Amino acid sequence: MELIPVPKPSKKAMKPDRAANALLLAQVSHLQHAERRLPLGYRSEIYTHAIKTEGEAAEYIRAVTEAIHRAHADAEKRRARRERRLEIAAAAEKPKRKRKPKSAQRAKRK
Amino acid sequence: MPTGLDQLKHIVVLMMENRSFDHMLGSLTAVNPAIDGITNNLSNPDTTGTQTKPQPQADFQGQLEPDPDHHFPAVDLQIFGGSVAADRQPNMQGFIKSYFNQQRNVGQSQKIMYYFSQKNLPILTKLALEFAVFNRWFASIPGPTICNRAFAHYGTSFGRVDMNPFDVIEPIKSIYTRMLNAGKSAKVYYYDTTSSTMEVVNLLQNQPKLFGTFQQFKKDCEKNALPQYSFIEPNYSDHDTDGGEQVANDQHPDHDVQAGEGFIAEVYMHIRKNPQLWPNTALLVVYDEHGGIYDHVPPPACTPDKFPCSQIDPGTGKPFDFSRLGVRVPAILISPWIATNTVVDRIFDHASIPGTVQQFFIGDDSNRSPREVTANLFIEKNPPAGDPSRNLLSLSAMRNDCPTFDI
Repeated sequence: MELIPVPKPSKKAMKPDRAANALLLAQVSHLQHAERRLPLGYRSEIYTHAIKTEGEAAEYIRAVTEAIHRAHADAEKRRARRERRLEIAAAAEKPKRKRKPKSAQRAKRK
Repeated sequence: MPTGLDQLKHIVVLMMENRSFDHMLGSLTAVNPAIDGITNNLSNPDTTGTQTKPQPQADFQGQLEPDPDHHFPAVDLQIFGGSVAADRQPNMQGFIKSYFNQQRNVGQSQKIMYYFSQKNLPILTKLALEFAVFNRWFASIPGPTICNRAFAHYGTSFGRVDMNPFDVIEPIKSIYTRMLNAGKSAKVYYYDTTSSTMEVVNLLQNQPKLFGTFQQFKKDCEKNALPQYSFIEPNYSDHDTDGGEQVANDQHPDHDVQAGEGFIAEVYMHIRKNPQLWPNTALLVVYDEHGGIYDHVPPPACTPDKFPCSQIDPGTGKPFDFSRLGVRVPAILISPWIATNTVVDRIFDHASIPGTVQQFFIGDDSNRSPREVTANLFIEKNPPAGDPSRNLLSLSAMRNDCPTFDI
């Protein structure tokens, strides 16, 4: 069967310094809304009003996307730790089965 | 007799950026006259009054700068040619006028009429000729990206016709949430974390596990772990990663169109080369909106949406009730059960995507937008027997002559 060649972009296609288009700036704005809801420790220190190029927009988009994933992963870890602690506490509170006195065990063996 | 429809287990949607039908696939009318593309009697007036015909001179990059305006007022001008009459009809005569408004340069404004020759788009045109190409797939709104993409995820934009964040209004849910609630599987694959998701940041915040990267998509294809419904987002920016330079492949002007061709081929081939996946997967390649670029088919009226437009005047001096579709975009449905050279004439828009996925995998649900409920379905679980055009995966034997790309 014929194998159809796939075109490759020109080496000059990569232009991270081109001005960010309206779409990327809108994406930045959407992620900024999301970033405002993140706990302080997860927020980027990138000033979005200073974003001008595609590369700068991409850097911000990555920082917030990864922070969102990290914040959820950390929350999940905390939830798991809490659940584990509750399990341990519940196990500790269970009434222990009473053991028969040794004299009774000896009598049974006889 | 069982057909390909009976085999179908996965639907994959790849949504590219900002190119019109005529711009990308218009050249194919010369190959297959059933495809409604470029003919000799099409033109648009420029600002000197000269009629300019579409020319096969579109270039991969560097031609559409500045990015053609495709916000609501500009698209209104493109569709209605500048008429503000109460009884105006769409005539598709305002594309050059609209592009002229951005730079006041007649020569540059005429480039909005350029389209790609078939030989310059070997991947997209090959897929269009080999599988099912839609003659009447329109953007959901005569406006920009975000609100159009919202229709693909929610069946509505909740009243938005712009790029601002939208609030999801209950009881409508995303198609992904609906799938998960019904015990089905679904995922949004964005290209990487640097490209991220374009329109569903609200989902990313609340349900990050819904998301995967394109690398994950490729692994899921290899391991037969693809969810029942997958939505793929291209790379929206040129950026560096640890793995090297990533060139934007979304085809949004002025990103390189060939990079997008390569991306489409890659998505196709990862499904195609897995013999467990290829027979039971349908891939839809579709564009979100026309990006301000010329198309000759007037968008039809449609059922109004239930959400009022968030702007009393969206920039046209008239209210908008979502009762007209946007400009036509390329759309191709791919499966080895589709006959070669299939051309579909029924009307679709992006609300057809959640509509189809909902009906195929879950069944009816009243908590959906009027636009989604009334949208035509591109795959129907029980297509009417008397209308063969309603079952595109209609072959009773799987094709073994489908194209293979050298990725």
